[in-house]
Amino acid sequence: MSRKTIKVNYLARVEGEGALNVTVRDGQVRNAELRIFEPPRFFEGLLRGRDYSEAPDVTARICGICPVAYQMSSVNAMENALGIDVDGPLRALRRLLYCGEWIESHALHIYMLHAPDFLGYAGAVDMAKDYPDIVKRGLALKKAGNAIMALVGGREIHPINVRVGGFYRTPTRKELAPLAEALKQARDDALATVRWTAGLDIPEADRDYHLVALHHPDEYPMNAGRIISSRGLDIAVEDYNQHFVESHVQRSTALHSHLREHDCYLVGPLARYSLNFDQLSPMAREAAKDAGLGATCNNPFQSIVVRSIEVLYACDEALRLIDAYQEPEQPFLAHEPKASEGFGCTEAPRGLLFHRYRLDAEGRIQEAQIVPPTSQNQPSIEADLKEMVGGWLDLPADVLRERCEQTIRNYDPCISCATHFLKLDVRHE
Amino acid sequence: MHETALVKNLVQKLQAICTEEKADRVVDITVWLGALCHMSPDHFSEHFRQEAAGTCAERARLKIESSDDINHANAQDVLLQSLELEMDDEALQ
Ligand SMILES: [Zn+2]
Repeated sequence: MSRKTIKVNYLARVEGEGALNVTVRDGQVRNAELRIFEPPRFFEGLLRGRDYSEAPDVTARICGICPVAYQMSSVNAMENALGIDVDGPLRALRRLLYCGEWIESHALHIYMLHAPDFLGYAGAVDMAKDYPDIVKRGLALKKAGNAIMALVGGREIHPINVRVGGFYRTPTRKELAPLAEALKQARDDALATVRWTAGLDIPEADRDYHLVALHHPDEYPMNAGRIISSRGLDIAVEDYNQHFVESHVQRSTALHSHLREHDCYLVGPLARYSLNFDQLSPMAREAAKDAGLGATCNNPFQSIVVRSIEVLYACDEALRLIDAYQEPEQPFLAHEPKASEGFGCTEAPRGLLFHRYRLDAEGRIQEAQIVPPTSQNQPSIEADLKEMVGGWLDLPADVLRERCEQTIRNYDPCISCATHFLKLDVRHE
Repeated sequence: MHETALVKNLVQKLQAICTEEKADRVVDITVWLGALCHMSPDHFSEHFRQEAAGTCAERARLKIESSDDINHANAQDVLLQSLELEMDDEALQ
């Protein structure tokens, strides 16, 4: 045997992540089809036959940007199946953990992915040259979110501390104290972020969305609530499959979601904000007003401002939760597996995330269903593109692609992390 | 999702180099993480272990350098810098 060292300097790239096929006939856009890479289907298969207690950790690995969301929806579904009601300080701790994810994920989206679009940069690296302090503020905010996840979730990414019934270990009040200090600074940074994004040059657009989000009478929705919509839908999470249908689309590995009654719909910050404005903290509502936002928002390009409001809210809410925290007597509630079915729905940073599991008497997973925000929004993204691309057809190919990427970035960091991720194919028939 | 695709790509590259160099396995890998690449060393190694399972890089030792220079030209990227390969001597003849 012998050894050999070689120097490579190879740049890892994201390939085959997204493709957009646009069909133009007689100068009109007939079709805009988005093809994206989507792993939840693979995870649904992976979960079959596994023990119910493994679902939170397995699903957390689906995404490094929103692991808590996957963990929370799955743990809620398992607790729903087994009849466990997690309340009091354990419930508050989970909300705190979710605040961490919102801060982290939104800060990433706003500063690293979305803002360069508005300021005319190809990416955060170019933007950092001219706006180093702004990029540093974004990183500091992201770090504050990470700190919550590291302490409450046990690890920065793919947290491992959440279990069915509660947590493996709960923090002491003393351990949470330094977080509060960091969060006060983060709240100031978040307020500055709202003011900064409100001053960006944001394109005008007013789309007639059917907005769908969770709603809870006492709190801005994260971990619990009923599913409501801007056109009168109001259902329990258990009834999700009676109103929403997923259909296979040949061209994509993703399933598309539709509402039986109204076809395509929108989940995510715009929907959450517009359906729950009154639940925001006074500070967040005030900042929204100062930023020129009303109680509802239908401009997808303005989602960057709405995300900033949600970061501010999450900092404010995390501080409130830390202040009110009482150490629980036990880290989790005891329980027994049983043959059952359970449903869980939470608000991932980029929108509604639904999980359903069927368990056998030993608690083995017989069936798993995961509907991520991306597949729910995909028909809406395509509708946005179809409507907007028509006006951009005379632009040079790379400018056209950038506009399309920007439109997609309004929705989701996960499908558009990479700059120039999109393979664009415009076919004239 | 982004990181899954990124690390997959890296492991594919490792496989390709192994084949090209007629190596049996990768012993050491040095990776550089840019300040704006949104991956921490822990996060990266976890994904790497997942993707490398069953490949020539399965048991490779990871050396990760993470940069905090936001002005670096590759600040948003993940770079594979060098690797050490182990090969059967007969394969070299
Ligand atoms: Zn994600």
